[in-house]
Order: sequence, then C-alpha cells, then structure tokens
Amino acid sequence: MARVIGLIAYHVFKESVRDRVLYNLVLFAILLISASYLVGQLTAGQDIKIIKDLGLAASSVFGLFIAVFIGVGLVWKEVERRSVYNLLVKPLRRQHFIAGKFLGLALTLAVNIAVMATALYAVLAFMAWSQPELAKASVEAPVVDPNLMKAFALIYVQLLLVTAIALFFSTFSSPMLSAAMTVGLYVVGHFNADLAHFETVVKSGAVAGLARALYYLLPNLAPFDIKAAVVHGQPIAAGYVLLTSGYGLLYAAAVVGLAMIVFARRDFK
Amino acid sequence: MAAIETENLTKDYRIGFWRPQPYRALDGVTLHVEANEVFGFLGPNGAGKTTTLKLLMQLVFPTAGRISILGRPPGDLDLRRRIGYLPESPYFYDSLSAEELLMYFAGLFGLRGPGRQAKVSALLDQVGIGGERRLPLRKYSKGMLQRVGLAQALVNDPEIVFLDEPMSGLDPLGRRAVRALILELRDRGCTVFFSSHILSDAEALCSRVGILVGGQLMAAGRLSDILAFQVTGWELVMSGVTPSMFAVHGEQVRHVTAIADGRFTIELAAHAEPDRIMAAARAQGGQLVSLNPLRTTLEDYFVEQVRARQAGVPARRAMPEG
Amino acid sequence: MNVAAARRAGRPGWVGIAATLSLSAVLLIAALGLQTVRQRRYTVSTAGTEVLYLRSGAAASRLALAYAALTADVYWIRAIQHYGDTRRSASPDKPYALLAPLLDLTTTLDSRFTVAYRFGAIFLAEPYPDGPGRPDLAIALLKKGLAAEPEKWVYAQDAGFVYYWWLHDYKNAAAWFDRASSIAGAPWWLRSMAATTLTQGGDRRSSRQLWRQLYETAEDTWVKNNARLKLAQLDALDDIDSLAGLVRRFTLATGRPPSAWSDLVALRWLPGIPTDPAGEPYQLDLSAPGGVTVSRRSPLFPLPSQFGSTTGPPS
Repeated sequence: MARVIGLIAYHVFKESVRDRVLYNLVLFAILLISASYLVGQLTAGQDIKIIKDLGLAASSVFGLFIAVFIGVGLVWKEVERRSVYNLLVKPLRRQHFIAGKFLGLALTLAVNIAVMATALYAVLAFMAWSQPELAKASVEAPVVDPNLMKAFALIYVQLLLVTAIALFFSTFSSPMLSAAMTVGLYVVGHFNADLAHFETVVKSGAVAGLARALYYLLPNLAPFDIKAAVVHGQPIAAGYVLLTSGYGLLYAAAVVGLAMIVFARRDFK
Repeated sequence: MAAIETENLTKDYRIGFWRPQPYRALDGVTLHVEANEVFGFLGPNGAGKTTTLKLLMQLVFPTAGRISILGRPPGDLDLRRRIGYLPESPYFYDSLSAEELLMYFAGLFGLRGPGRQAKVSALLDQVGIGGERRLPLRKYSKGMLQRVGLAQALVNDPEIVFLDEPMSGLDPLGRRAVRALILELRDRGCTVFFSSHILSDAEALCSRVGILVGGQLMAAGRLSDILAFQVTGWELVMSGVTPSMFAVHGEQVRHVTAIADGRFTIELAAHAEPDRIMAAARAQGGQLVSLNPLRTTLEDYFVEQVRARQAGVPARRAMPEG
Repeated sequence: MNVAAARRAGRPGWVGIAATLSLSAVLLIAALGLQTVRQRRYTVSTAGTEVLYLRSGAAASRLALAYAALTADVYWIRAIQHYGDTRRSASPDKPYALLAPLLDLTTTLDSRFTVAYRFGAIFLAEPYPDGPGRPDLAIALLKKGLAAEPEKWVYAQDAGFVYYWWLHDYKNAAAWFDRASSIAGAPWWLRSMAATTLTQGGDRRSSRQLWRQLYETAEDTWVKNNARLKLAQLDALDDIDSLAGLVRRFTLATGRPPSAWSDLVALRWLPGIPTDPAGEPYQLDLSAPGGVTVSRRSPLFPLPSQFGSTTGPPS
C-alpha cells in the first residue's frame, strides 16, 4: 500500500516538474536578488528586514499559487481526460489514489519551500558577509536567523492545508470553481479569529452561536503567520510551532478524508 | 468456476440537474464467460457495452445485480492483480514516455528492478512500439496510443483481459496484429473479453459472443449456435452464358444478375445442386468463374436483432443456450 | 462470493460514509484541541507585533489603484480592531501606536468616510487607558475632514465637543460651535450652544443640553451611545451630589462617616443600596470628592473630573 501511494506521489511530483512548475523558483530568485540589490539604494537601514519580509512573503504567495492551481486539477484533470481509468483498475484502492495525489503535491511544495528557504539564507548570508555594518544595525534578530525556519515550517503546513482543501474540491468540481472556493476559504481563514469575537458585537444569540460554530469549523489560518514576529526577533516557542503544525496537519487529514469518501463513491461515466 | 459472471446487472443514471430523469443504461444483463474463452461483446453504439465494462472494472457502481470475476467482487485487489483493462480511446499522461508509463504501471503491480525493465521492453516490442517509446505520449498518434494501451493491459500477465474497442484507431496492419495478439493470448490460456461493433473481428476471433442492444442482452452463446453455420444458398458466377440457360432449373434458381463482360451471377437456393447446374451450363459453352456457398453472417443476425429490438417485438431466433 | 470481501471492495455505502465523516470529525476535534492548548499556553500579543508597513496615505492611495474605497474600509476595520484589541488586552502597557496612522490612512484613501472622522475623533480623545488620550489628534482629524468637505458642519460640532469636554477650552469650543452654526444646514441650537458655552461653559446644565442635542440629532448609533453615556455620567454626578449630602449629614450626626450603605438604610434615609444609571451600586470612598463615587466595574467609570463635587446643600 505504501509503495503504491509512493509511486503515485512520485508521479505527481514528476509531472509538476515536467510541467515546469518549478520554474517559479527562478522568478523567486530573481526577485530576491534584485531586491537585495535595490534595497540598499532605496531605504534607510531597513535592508535586512525588508529582504526577510520579501522572502517570506514571496514564499508564501508562490507556494499558495502552486497549492491552489495544481491542487484544483489534481483529480479533476485525470477524470476529465479519463487517464484515471487506467490507474483505478490497478491493484489499489481509490483512497490510495487520493493519498498519493496529496502527498505528491506535498512533495512538490516541500521542494519549492526548501529551495526558497535556501535562497533566502544564501542572500542574507551574502549581505551579511559583504556589508558587515548591516549586522550591527540588526539588533532585533541576527541577519542569518535560524528562526526563519520556524516561519517557513508554518508556511509549509499552511500550504498543506490549502492543498487538502483544493484537492477536496478537485474531486467533484471544475478547476475554476474549485480555485475560487479554495481561495475564498483561505481568505476567510485569515479572518477566522474575528468570528470568535462576534458575540461581543452582535446582539442575536443565534448569529453569535453560528459565528462560533463557523469559527471552529473553518480553518484558522492567522496563527500560521509568524513572519512579522520572526523578523522582529520575537521569541517563538517550539511548542507554538508544534501545536500550530499539529492543528494544520490534523485539519488537512480530516479534509483529505472527506476527499477520499467523495472520490470513493463516484461513478466515472 | 466461470471466469466472468454477471447476474441481472442493471445500471440507472440520473440525467439532468433540477429534475433528474432516470436513464436505464443497462437492464438486467446476465452474462457467463468461461475460462480461456474469447468472448465478443457486440452491439451498436450507445448499447451499453462500455458501461458494462466499466461496471466490471468497478469504475461505475451497479444499481442492481451481481458481478463475479474469477469468483471475486470486481473491486477486489487480488483480482486486480490478475486482470488487465484497455479503455476505449485510452489517454495517459502527456509528459511521460511510453516506456516511463509502463514502468510506472509495472511498479504498481509490484514489479521491480531489471525484471521490470525487461518486461516493459518486451511488451513494447510485442505491440510494435519501437524507437518512439522514449518520446512523450503527447506526440503519439491514436493508433500508437492504442498499442500502448494494449501493452499496459498486459503488463501483469493477466488471466483475463478486458478490451474496450481494441481495434479502434488502428490501420489494417494494426488490426491484424491485434487479432494475432488476441489469439496468442487465448493460446496462452488467457480469457479475452472484448467489446466491438466490428462484426468481422468477432467472427474471426470469438468462441462465444453476446449481443447488447439498448442496454439489453438480446442474445449470447456460441457463435456456431447463433449462426448455425448453415448454407442458405449458393452464388455461382459464370461467363459466356445467358439467363435463359437457367430457366430450366425452375425454382432452384433464385436470381440471375448480369455483372459485366458477359458474366452473370446466378443465385441458387439452398437445396439446389450447384454442380449439376454448373455442368449443364458448361455443356452449353459457359465457363466457371467462381462458386461460393452463402452462409448467414453475424451481421445479418445482428441487424435482425437490432431491428427486432427497435420494433419492440421478440427476435425471430430464440436465445440459444450458452 | 465472500460477503465480507464484497462489502470491502464495493462502493462505500452509508456505513462507509458515516465512518469517514466520524473519522474526519475526530481529526477536526483533535485539531481544535491542539489549537485550544496553543491558545492557552502561548498568547502571541497581536497589539505589539502589529506592523504598519505603509504609513503614507499618498503611497497607499497609489497602491490601492481603483480600490481606494475598499482599502479605506480595510484600514478602518484594522483601526477598530487595533483600538479594541489594545483596549481589551491584558498587558498594562497600551500603546495605541497605530491608531492615528491607521485613521489617517483611512481618511486619505476615502476623504468622505464620515464615520472614520467622527468615531476616530472619539477614539483618539478618550483618555488613557481607554484610548490614547490625544484630543489634539482628534481635532486634527476633524480639521482634515472639514478640509475635504467644508459643508460638513458635524465635524465642526464634534471639534467643539472635544474642546469643551476634554480640553476644557470653552473659548475655542464656543468658536467651533459658532463656526458650525454658520454652515448651511446646521441645526438652530448650535448658535445658542455657542452662546451658552461662552457664558456658562463647564457647568452641568449646559453640558447636559449639549449632549442631549447630540444624542437626539445623531444618526450613527455609536455617536448616539457615546452621548448617552455622557448623559448618564452627568446623572450619576447629580446622584453623587445627593448621596454626598447624606454622607455629610450622617458624619455630622454620628461623628464618623458611614462604613456601608446599610448604615443609611437602617436610618431609613435610603430605601436600599443606591445604584447608578447603569445599575452598578455606588461606592463609599473617603478619598473621592464627597465620599461617594461610581464602582470601578460600572461603564460610567471614570466620571469626568471637571464637574467637581457637591454643588450646594442637600435637598
């Protein structure tokens, strides 16, 4: 079973490589390098902070694009083109197929994030080496800060969550609609915390109750965003990262489970 | 144990979104295929052949009825290790090559290492994919994709092979090759279940056939039983004769038709004695061009079944046992 | 055929669906459990880490392209949240640092965002710790609104209020009320308000008149509620005057101040524990003027200080 899932996952990764998805890394590198060049000219002493902000934000955005646009086609494309027929009659369950698809995109995203993190560290290291006075100016956090990895880790887990949601929609909905819904849930997820405070502003108990239920049901994405905290050198406990990652992974697993049951019951007309 | 068995297999679809109407794609199909048979599943377009195959592959779930393949339910994993499937107009992954695709699928069956590579190479040779095997599949013609489809259906040395329109998209050379392949599979002990609307293939290959029209199984059985392979008449072609020469034979002669250059086709009744009539004509100066017995073809039978179904009356020939 | 095998290999029926949904529910509950643990253990204070990348309204309006109004809404929501979060936060240090920049951004992106000006001024003027306590910034904001829309007399009126209530500058307050009253569409009472403020600025009656007018004419619920709160505070001050009178009588009569309201209730001077207009009981507090004050828990707390203690003998 694991072997079959692994093969399917590897195949998804291979396909995304062949579809030139990883070229986004080139764009990322260009962005980062040109930014590091220009930022010295344009700002007064905020160079390191801006590079870090840019690197983390771009990783998040590029990753989001990949998660959504590949995610919504993961199942749909195969069903549309009927290449799924060949795969589903092999000795594997439909659930293995879904798991393989998810892990394949997870692998693509992992490679993407790993390369971006490496690129960011490389640029920061170069800046620290070539301009030692910058290091003195960064009192909040070291220039080459290992805590950036915590931010990257949470970015990655958040992307896995988005992938799971995109995959779920992909099992029954066309790419356009799935992308809209996934992005919609992503945006709502960032404002999720406000739903919890609804009861203080809203008079109707029913509405407040509904808001609370939605707060629990919908993904809570704001805690994954520790970019600002890390850049400012604020301590982020390992426990925080672990618990938030745990939330993300369990939620993603729940959504993948739903994708599995939808797919398992489908007729392929 | 039968290789493939279905009992009262029925599939309804719901057509439409707001007020779905049920559409019965398959109605009470009961089939029985023995091991090592070549079974031809025939029918006009839209009859439900592909639906039946999808039900057998559990790509689609039945509304009613039972399916048993090698004594197991269609979704069983052990069963899937032992069968192969070629879908209609197969489509794979654009960016992979034929070789990579087969290596991938072989891997899903648990094949590994050099054995896997050898198997894949041999299969590609067998279906006639040569140097193109390294090219991405998006560059393949329909015929080549069909061959790749066949290859992937055989990658696990299956006991039963399910082929949906295996000849589609192939040129005459390709079709001949596929026919040879099917017979080779039979000789190896495989069971072959294929669907087609090309009847001459069925006539050449099948031991038993089933005829599906409008979702219903009109007839199923040995080909020889269905057709009875009886002579229904004779076709005598002679030159240097005139129609009047044959008038003497009365009702033995059904028709005399002129072709060209003084040649005539003389259609004789089944009970006629063609040698005597020919000798008599030769005695008057005629020359023999050809003499052929006329038998019912599968096509005749097929058309008769389809027309009967459309007219709503039971077909003239009863369902033979099989 | 093996029935168990058939069930495993077939299409998942209601049992399969229920099982999967239950499993997903369990995973979700586990996820929520982890989230709750995290929320309890680690409070990442958002008030401190908030960063306003863009401070320049001009830059923001360029970046917002065609969506300036929407961006203004977003900044407005952020301003409210920043105010609310800072005010509610458990830490003793409440910087409210981003409030003025956020309001500035909001009103630059949408110069007619009335609520942002009016309520922004209220937020800014509120004394620490309920707000940054910057009536000067409030005035500046209202001036900005007037610059964008000179016919908006409410901004001038609000500026008058700020001068009156928070800065106790009755001369300027009157000047602003006067200016407001000369704008077309302003209500008639603003002119008399200007006059009253000049002569009697600082006493409760004119204040009450001011707030009552505001309460009755305001269209925004928030502005109305703010006025109502101020009126309730004025009523509380009246109550405190009466109660302070009773406290003085008791002290003169018994030689010591009352230790609790029950002392006065026992003498039938009060029917029961006196409560303020918000329903919270008044407190006996020797350090407060008159010996009586509102409870810390009351929404009326703290009372405005400029109205002094008792005015005149008890009834």
